[in-house]
Amino acid sequence: MSQQDFAAALLDPDLPAPAGLAAWNGSDPAQRFRVYRNNVIVSLIDALADTFEVTLELVGEEFFRAIARLYAYACPPQSRLMAFYGAGFPDFIESFPPAAGLPYLADVARLEYRRIVAYHAADVPGVGAEAVAAALADEATLPTLGMTLHPSLSVVVSTSAVVSLWAAHQGILDLSTVAPDAPETALILRHGLNVEVLQIPAAVGAFLCELQAGASLGRAAAEAMSIDTDFNLVSILGLLLQKSAITALNPTRSPT
Amino acid sequence: MTTASHFLPKEAGISTLRAGAVPARSGLGLKPGHFRTILVTRPDLGFFEIHAENYMVDGGPFHHYLTQIRRDYALSIHGVGLSIGGEGPLDEEHLDRLASLISRYEPQSFSEHLAWSSHGDIFLNDLLPAPYNPATLQRVCDHIDRVHERLDRRMLLENPATYVEFAASTLAETDFISEVVKRTGCGLLLDVNNVYVSCNNHGRDPQAFIEALPLAAAAQIHLAGFADDVDAAGAPLLIDSHGAPIAQAVWDLYRYTLERTGPLPTLIERDNDIPAFPVLLAEAQQAEKRLQTCRVEVAA
Amino acid sequence: MNKTLTAASLAFALGTAMTVAATPVAAPMADKEKCFGVALKGKNDCKAGAGTTCAGTSKIDYQGNSWSLVPKGTCEKTASPTSPTGHGQMAEFKERKA
Repeated sequence: MSQQDFAAALLDPDLPAPAGLAAWNGSDPAQRFRVYRNNVIVSLIDALADTFEVTLELVGEEFFRAIARLYAYACPPQSRLMAFYGAGFPDFIESFPPAAGLPYLADVARLEYRRIVAYHAADVPGVGAEAVAAALADEATLPTLGMTLHPSLSVVVSTSAVVSLWAAHQGILDLSTVAPDAPETALILRHGLNVEVLQIPAAVGAFLCELQAGASLGRAAAEAMSIDTDFNLVSILGLLLQKSAITALNPTRSPT
Repeated sequence: MTTASHFLPKEAGISTLRAGAVPARSGLGLKPGHFRTILVTRPDLGFFEIHAENYMVDGGPFHHYLTQIRRDYALSIHGVGLSIGGEGPLDEEHLDRLASLISRYEPQSFSEHLAWSSHGDIFLNDLLPAPYNPATLQRVCDHIDRVHERLDRRMLLENPATYVEFAASTLAETDFISEVVKRTGCGLLLDVNNVYVSCNNHGRDPQAFIEALPLAAAAQIHLAGFADDVDAAGAPLLIDSHGAPIAQAVWDLYRYTLERTGPLPTLIERDNDIPAFPVLLAEAQQAEKRLQTCRVEVAA
Repeated sequence: MNKTLTAASLAFALGTAMTVAATPVAAPMADKEKCFGVALKGKNDCKAGAGTTCAGTSKIDYQGNSWSLVPKGTCEKTASPTSPTGHGQMAEFKERKA
């Protein structure tokens, strides 16, 4: 028996059990091999069920486990860190015809995955008042000021009501009042030990994505205002400061 | 290639010198659902054990709580992903992650499994069996030598729970483990539930199996619950589920073991259907009682 | 560029954000949600799927038209104006044979 054969048979139920297995009582070792097959696939499905809790609730246990099983066989973990297993699951859902009637499902899964990433992201303190004061003192450079955002922070832009659907499954909203096809943008970040999910205007989402991509404050704000003239820069900067989500101000950046 | 004996005097375990030993008391697996309960109630336990891979994340609550709990408790780090029995070389990146976790938390013990869990670039998330023959023995010893070298400490190797055997096996599991211990100087993490499960599954006598293990190297004990299944002949096939209370037969085998090893740090493992903290604490206290009885008998 | 932000306007925004009590863009939901921190499990555990040895054996796939599962979760309670039934997809999916 090579581990190649053993591993291949674990991940393909159509393959026979690997050769060279034995049982003390002469019973068919293929039956015993099933324990390993079972352990592997069930552990992978369970890991996905833990991460994509709301996705599971949306479609029910049976449907979820069936799609999770297909995903696990198609995309078994390539990392030994199971916390982050399922990065490709939202895309898999999106391309899965039986889930086509629920266009919001993949984005809810994206939001859930980002929460896991946020939960385990590095602990980086937010900038203090002195750093902000120093940036303000050098007003002329503000348009080219760069901002590093907290590693837990991410934005999910959706054509569905991704935040409301998620919130309804936390007991915050009544699900029957949620219009699933109203576009929403989600902001996910960890503040202290808490992972927070906020609904933000699309322009704010664009602003944050620009900053994450390395754009300057001036460039990111201009981009946001081109999407929505009501873009409220004070409000989002206030939120970021309140949540300690700006971890560095980089005044030396060249204009972008 | 340095052999283990050059840098690892067997009589003076490096880990013992550096961080002290895990006390010969009962401990529990640390579960995130119990973080706050533990910090508030400060249960009287000998140690906590974590699965290394769960804490190989950059930051967040896991590290926050573990850091606080570590201040008050001894720690055992138990790896589940190193794939020591794997055909390929050890994943050096994973060893690096282990080294940094170990330097961050300075655990009193580090252990891994006699099993493989990765093949090529696929992680199978299960502890898989390997045939007991000279080729596997060489590989496992090379891998443990490398772990010792990289982590600069003695590791404990856990005996596995298995469901199949291999036509290619030429050594008994106990002889295989004894040889690994002899060649590498590693310690034995004696999983009593695994002994019970594997002996049942392969028609062996658990007590004789215990006797045949290198008990002088035993440094920690694991206890857990199993689930019942049957094989194709209708014979009971026990599954190491970690999802039930410890069976009476395993408690009995634990006592039998302690009579031969003396008191050893004993972990109650529960990874499935995790009950409320007091339920696990009660099981740990049960183990604690047996350890005390054992101490009295050893003293007498 | 039709819209340029001056250094002064950015300074005003950042200064105001710092001094005025920040108003969140939307009501934060974190306080009300289930306690995520303690609900999250460590996923590298020594689990074995007890008593379900068929799970790794029976292959559920959707080759041909063997996929017959429909979502049966809370999506049924989701009002969807675009769906004729007023719900998310409830119709059984049958893949056409190749």
